Amino acid sequence: MATWDSVASLLRYSSPVALAAVGETVVEVSGIINIGLEGMMLAGAYAAVVGSLQTGNPWIGVLYGVGAGIAFALVNCLVLVYLRVDQVLAGTAMNLLSLGLTSTLFRARFGQSGQLISAPEISRFAGVDVIIIGLAVLVLGLHFLIRRSGWGLALRACGEYPSAARASGYSVEMLRCSALLIGGLFGGLAGAYLSIGIAGSFAENMTSGRGFVAIALVTFGRWRTPWVLAAALLIGYAESLQYSLQGTSSIPYQFFLALPYLIALAVLVFVGKGAIAPESLGNTELEVG
Amino acid sequence: MKNTVMTFLVSALAFCVIGCTGGTDAAPKTASNQPADQKPASGGFKVALITPGPVSDSGWNALAYDGLMAIQKGLGAEVKNDDATGTKIKDSMRSYAQDGYNLVIGHGFEYNDPEAEVAANFPKTVFVSSSGGKTGANFGAFRFALEQGFYLAGALAAEMSKTGKIAMIGGPKVPSIESTFNAFRAGAMAEKKGIQVFEEFTGKDSDIQAAKQLTEAQLAKGADVVIHQANAAAQGVFDACKEKNVWALGANLNQNDNASGVVIASAVIVAQPAFLELAKAVKAGTYKGEITTVGMDKGAIDFIVNPKLQAKIPADVLKKLEDMKAKIKSGALSVPMDKF
Repeated sequence: MATWDSVASLLRYSSPVALAAVGETVVEVSGIINIGLEGMMLAGAYAAVVGSLQTGNPWIGVLYGVGAGIAFALVNCLVLVYLRVDQVLAGTAMNLLSLGLTSTLFRARFGQSGQLISAPEISRFAGVDVIIIGLAVLVLGLHFLIRRSGWGLALRACGEYPSAARASGYSVEMLRCSALLIGGLFGGLAGAYLSIGIAGSFAENMTSGRGFVAIALVTFGRWRTPWVLAAALLIGYAESLQYSLQGTSSIPYQFFLALPYLIALAVLVFVGKGAIAPESLGNTELEVG
Repeated sequence: MKNTVMTFLVSALAFCVIGCTGGTDAAPKTASNQPADQKPASGGFKVALITPGPVSDSGWNALAYDGLMAIQKGLGAEVKNDDATGTKIKDSMRSYAQDGYNLVIGHGFEYNDPEAEVAANFPKTVFVSSSGGKTGANFGAFRFALEQGFYLAGALAAEMSKTGKIAMIGGPKVPSIESTFNAFRAGAMAEKKGIQVFEEFTGKDSDIQAAKQLTEAQLAKGADVVIHQANAAAQGVFDACKEKNVWALGANLNQNDNASGVVIASAVIVAQPAFLELAKAVKAGTYKGEITTVGMDKGAIDFIVNPKLQAKIPADVLKKLEDMKAKIKSGALSVPMDKF
């Protein structure tokens, strides 16, 4: 039982980053890099706590969180797809916007000096919940969609060579927007899971860089959702190891804090060669023809 | 692609920096070494507070903000606050001084060095940091002896633990937090010699998940009473304790009524009177640059047992805590405090 407990806790604690990374994979396959993922998660986390507190029902909270993620995605559609703003700039702006917005709303609602919120959490059976099980199904489903369906082929074409997709009669804009909306759904869900699936609470900047880790995991997982999930679990495992190893030896605790990232770096060095990024990733230029 | 990755890394770094320092409600920054353009304090008494993190953290920064509000109410002062760390500290201090602020409070030991430098240029402004060692005509430090509260918390934790293992969960590893943890350990050791005390840090201030995970790891090692210095992430510590049905101890603010229902007592800083007194002295012009330590004797530190859970603590332990409190107040018992 003890082993199942540790597996369940690994799944739980890896889920926020895993969800965000899987969503980001779909976005990147379409040729867009959503740097604003961190802000998206943060907005989802705040909205979920508010929804959960307001209604007493954590599932309504999850809906609020997903809604916040999708709202961010809609802005992304406009800014990244139709206005073709530089994606790194726009993403950074979204992150700052979200940090400022959630902090301001948090203080307006819970007081300048804050509160330790305790919001109703998602119920679990044997340590896992519906979202964790859903994640496994969604990862396989998305993999199938991206690799085997017509939509997936067109989406990959948008990421590799958008002109070809356009020449074949597809709307690159609509395809990229569909990917962004899926990414928003996952980003919001990731934040919601962090705040009411795990913490049952909210704090300013509580995502603490998980969105950026998720973006790195997409590269780590070579733009394939099952591998991205595996990468998230590996990093999650290193992180949990870090918590139990800390204090048991004379090695400074900072080393253990850096451990997950060292593992990520090491793996990137060895698998990096095989990683094939979408050719047009982050490219904002109007394609010729 | 390479460019995208590089720009991404740079922006990620920038975001981390902004994220860690808050970046919100920052005062207008004007970096200048010129003392000449300091406006005279125009009638009203003005007080500024600079904190190392957002004041909404339900902990260290929140209590300073409450202190600032007490100054606003008590003295009718005009107040302003922002968060600044690192190189932003001196900018922030200078801009407040130039705007004619009478008192600038830097809430942490890290504000002591910058204030010593800035104070020389702005003789009309008083700079005070929460702990630190440097003083001058118009700058000094006052330190809350939270160690006294943590010492008692350690004693209670040692008494309440059945496994003989207790844990301390910190956010970033900074000297002020380590000092309180050392006092906690000393209090526990004085009570029970063989007690095992785990000391762990998440390294981050607002990461509730990390606080929860780290606490769970300590509980898995057998700890059954946990104290924290996790500020905004404290709910993660309390939640982990609730799930395993063990006791937790609150810190900085009175957290006994936390929804988790496992906070058996809190080591508390009562900041308002101390802040108010400081502001009064500055307003009256009687402030002299000095280092003062405020503790239980002045009512600035307290150790409050949760009245709802009091019945869970053996009567003789409660009595012992009261005795120790009296001894600390009278000075008969001195609690270890790190110098930093």
